Amino acid sequence: MNMKMRTTFAFLILFLLTGALHAQRSWDEIEYPELNSFTKPDVEIVTLENGIRFYLVEDHELPLISLRLLVRTGGFMVTEDKTGLSSITGTVMRTGGTTSIDGDSLNELLEDRAASMETSIGFTSGSASMNVLKEDFDDLLPVFIDLITQPAFPEQRIELAKTQQKSSISRRNDESMQIATREFQKLIYGPETVYGRQSEYETIDNITREDLINFHEQSFVAENMMVGIVGDFSTEEMTAKLTEAFRVIPQGSETVMDLPEIDYHFDSSINLVDKRDVNQSVVMMGHIGGLRENPDYAKLQVMNRILSDGFSGRLMRIIRSQMGLAYTVFGQYGSNNFYPGIFYAGVMTQSESTAEAIEAIFEQIRRLQNEPVSEQEMKDTKDRFLNSLVFEYDSRASVLNERMSYDYAGMDPETFDRLVEEIQAVTVEDVQEVAREYLHPDSFHILVVGNGEELGGQLERFGEVNLLDISIPEPGEAEGRETGDAAAGAEWLNKMAGAILNDGTIDGPLIFEGETRVDSPQGDMTIGVKQTIHFQTEALYSEIQTPMALVTMKIENGEGVMQMGGSEMPMQPAQLNEALGELYRHPVYLALNHETRNAEFMGMAEIDGKEYAHIRLEEEIVLNIFLDPETALPEVTTWRQFNPQLGGNIDIKMVSSDWTEGGGVTLAHQTVVYHNGEAGSTTIIHSHSVE
Amino acid sequence: MAYLKKTWSILFGVIVALSSLAQAQNLEKFEENVTEFTLDNGLHFIVVERPVAPVASFVTFVDVGGADEPAGQTGIAHIFEHMVFKGSKTVGTTNWEEEQEVIDRMDAAYSAWVEEKNSPYPQEEKMAEYWADFEKYQEKANSYVITNQFDEIISREGATHLNARTSYDFTDYFYSLPQNRAELWFSLESDRFQNPVFREFYEEKDVIMEERRMRVDSDPFGRLFEEFLGVAYSAHPYGRPLVGWPSDIETTTIKDTEAFYRRYYTNENFTFAIVGDVDPDRMRELAETYFGSIEPTGTAPSVTTKEPRQRGERRFVIEEESQPILIAGYHTVDQLHDDFAALTLLASILSDGRTSRLYSRLVQDEQQALAVQAVTGFPATKYNSMFVLFALPNQGVDIDDLEKAIFEEIEKVKEGDIQQVELDRAITNARAGLVRGLNSNLGLAMNLARTHGQTGDWRNLFTNLEALEQVTLEDLKQVANTYFIKSNRTVGKIINIPADGPAVNSNEN
Repeated sequence: MNMKMRTTFAFLILFLLTGALHAQRSWDEIEYPELNSFTKPDVEIVTLENGIRFYLVEDHELPLISLRLLVRTGGFMVTEDKTGLSSITGTVMRTGGTTSIDGDSLNELLEDRAASMETSIGFTSGSASMNVLKEDFDDLLPVFIDLITQPAFPEQRIELAKTQQKSSISRRNDESMQIATREFQKLIYGPETVYGRQSEYETIDNITREDLINFHEQSFVAENMMVGIVGDFSTEEMTAKLTEAFRVIPQGSETVMDLPEIDYHFDSSINLVDKRDVNQSVVMMGHIGGLRENPDYAKLQVMNRILSDGFSGRLMRIIRSQMGLAYTVFGQYGSNNFYPGIFYAGVMTQSESTAEAIEAIFEQIRRLQNEPVSEQEMKDTKDRFLNSLVFEYDSRASVLNERMSYDYAGMDPETFDRLVEEIQAVTVEDVQEVAREYLHPDSFHILVVGNGEELGGQLERFGEVNLLDISIPEPGEAEGRETGDAAAGAEWLNKMAGAILNDGTIDGPLIFEGETRVDSPQGDMTIGVKQTIHFQTEALYSEIQTPMALVTMKIENGEGVMQMGGSEMPMQPAQLNEALGELYRHPVYLALNHETRNAEFMGMAEIDGKEYAHIRLEEEIVLNIFLDPETALPEVTTWRQFNPQLGGNIDIKMVSSDWTEGGGVTLAHQTVVYHNGEAGSTTIIHSHSVE
Repeated sequence: MAYLKKTWSILFGVIVALSSLAQAQNLEKFEENVTEFTLDNGLHFIVVERPVAPVASFVTFVDVGGADEPAGQTGIAHIFEHMVFKGSKTVGTTNWEEEQEVIDRMDAAYSAWVEEKNSPYPQEEKMAEYWADFEKYQEKANSYVITNQFDEIISREGATHLNARTSYDFTDYFYSLPQNRAELWFSLESDRFQNPVFREFYEEKDVIMEERRMRVDSDPFGRLFEEFLGVAYSAHPYGRPLVGWPSDIETTTIKDTEAFYRRYYTNENFTFAIVGDVDPDRMRELAETYFGSIEPTGTAPSVTTKEPRQRGERRFVIEEESQPILIAGYHTVDQLHDDFAALTLLASILSDGRTSRLYSRLVQDEQQALAVQAVTGFPATKYNSMFVLFALPNQGVDIDDLEKAIFEEIEKVKEGDIQQVELDRAITNARAGLVRGLNSNLGLAMNLARTHGQTGDWRNLFTNLEALEQVTLEDLKQVANTYFIKSNRTVGKIINIPADGPAVNSNEN
């Protein structure tokens, strides 16, 4: 090759190269250069004599240091009657400050330096973290050690945490997704298990300062601790500092992550939470899942990504993009470290298309079992995973976190690399096999949180619909129950029946007319009332004349409707229960049904200076009826009712007088109702009759 | 435009101010790693070399949002954002020429149906006829579609964080890739914004209606916010729902959406940011190659309606099954106004952290509230917006008592009760927040693109801090007295309907 030719050749190459550099290429023509090399930063691991393990990674990009303590503990260790103790302990450790610095001073100390320290305890782990500017680290480390070893747990901050928890409980039925997640977990694991149970007013009330102290003492010991630290420091110096600081922590004994077995039987059901203020259903469907240690884990991960993986998964592609049925649709076979996960699929879709969306999900799950995945879909699915692996280590903190979480779960550090190899080896047959082995679409529990009225009969095609009651349980009666005399109780109730009904029965509906005066925040308000009650059929018609409007209410066959200003609406379950409760408490109803009631005579009792015969009726709520010993008329009735808004019970007392006979029925023409001792309303009846 | 002085001296000042807290050379280093260029056609690029890991994040910021929507087309900015994921003339289709023709016919049939439906005397027969046509073309159009191919192409190359956001002020589109795949972003991004297609448009509107049901109709917070903005604003588009009214979403056609795109997606409204392990020179070459041939465009119109002065306090109550929620807000200023910095710090002093005024009194000491938050710049910041207070009463606490306590705290601020130590703390935390935000490729790219797109210079991300540092106690008192007045306020509540039957709860009528 002579010189000239060589030059020409070089020019040609240059020309071609330039051309290549400046030509637009479509996505399938681009050739990618090698990925820039990247070495995973080493995690330095040091173990102290008392058992604490430190994980250190240097990161000099910003002058920050971030420390995270992982603690082997969790809500699973708490007894059922104190559910919520773990999270309250996690909260008050931080808000209550330490024995050397109170909560308020700690807040100021940290916020003045834009530093943060937080503690929390979840279901299978606890954590404490500290994020500080490098220059503040030495000053704040001793405070952090104090926080995890000497929390003060002052009563006032415990009360605060309990109030907050109870307020959260009172709000837990406001958002559909929150209801669905919680209730589905209960359906799968069982409401009584550690996995399905939840904090209640009562379990929060049961928690004492002593409980917090014990829970902390048991959990925050060296044998349970792993400390990860990433930031702008030198490993050698930092190791020395940490060794010095964490030496004081008592060794203790390691928590055994021994979670209760789950006794799961594959079974199917269709359940509805009726929520009338929504126009979209949240659907959750599935059954029990598995453990991370399952040898088929890699195969299940590939299956999961075929089913649901951003826009490229089948559920999104078909149910969202092609059918337009949902904005949110998801599904995966869940595998946990310490107890079985859940296989779930879910969707949020308008009331009208709920059944259609459920069926579309069923179809996609059965398809995984019935037809092999195409080679192309298999390759795309694996590529999505393998090509994004580089993001697993896109920060030094993520390298550290991954290493710690594998250690926490007792898995070796090579676990992830092995998973990558295993995923590469998964075949089309493998996916179909695991779909057949692990998915049981004939045994799904289906839960819909949606508007029962808009749903109509859609769900019936999936079986007989269970209506779930999610009303919030009131705190239980702590005091023990005395038992009374049943025979004497029946006798008194019989006497009362005779006093109310001349012939021991009533031939037709009771009709009465009167007015009720209510003390409302806006002042007194008088409401006219006209009511017809059919006690035998438990039907009730009311006309209520308020200053603003006439409202009519009709209850028949357990269903109620209200009418106001020409519009009709079904009564909300709470309103209906309230109205039916009034019916069931009515003296005439009790008199008619006295033979089937369980009454106990509790002895004589004095109220406002008068002697009464006290009988107790075990109805859905306990009724205490106080009878005039002469006439056997129920002059005072008391019961306790739960007010969900107040999150507590109110004691209700009803005082009846001006007993008047008419149509063979003796009725109190004046009743005054007291709420927690304060007069709430007075009802005067002008006349009554029986037709 | 008061504090938008783009001088080096100010930037230097910030670096010095930060040095007490952060190491100065780190921020100087940051500046060194930024490369900026504008193509001849007006498209602007910001590239930050950050070789922490072999990955990079890509952000396309467009200075167009819900506030720009024409009347009767609420939600159209968001609808267009969804369509950009449907591919292009070459991605997502088996035959674009044929597909396009069918899409045009489908849209014509739908337009006819909408017109008939909204005419004074709609004829059932005609509507049924148009609808049948529409469905016929829709089915035909779908036969050309390769669903979600755009996503598949980038996802199988390892993309993560693929998404987009529509706000009242802007729309941004983003994802991250392994760094050697950068060219794929240039190729696909230039293609999809030059050649948007309206594929599966009507299915996607159904998806958006589900998004609306999820975020607004079936969510107590969503219902309250929508109502609040509607009551608080009488003229400015911040008062309209971002996701759109159901009837507007229903009537919007492909033609409308394309017109919106042509009008607002102009070159000068775009800012691109790339942050990660990339070579800035190579990025510039690729930008020239893929975006250089795009024709220059005209200028998009801006929003001219100004919210008039409020004449008196506005209040509303929603009665429903949910537990009570309180929201109260005052009309204030846009983000370029001199008072914006003081308002930002006021919000922080009132509710950021456990030492803040509202938290320490209402959540911690008096236990009146489960949560309380003050926010400035609600629902967005480009135009005059609102300073909002938001609270959840604890169980058994009267929402009116909580409201009273919050306004007592506002009065104290107006009387000049805030101490220097509180102001210092708020500034320190804003400064630290900025430093902490520098260590994510995607977060950084989003912030740089947005700051450039909205203010003309990414450096304002740092100079904004200087504005905060100059705020005095007197400024806090003065802005509180300017804006926190009763006639400038809107108060909204959700009140729980007690389970007492109909008679007692009609007293709110």
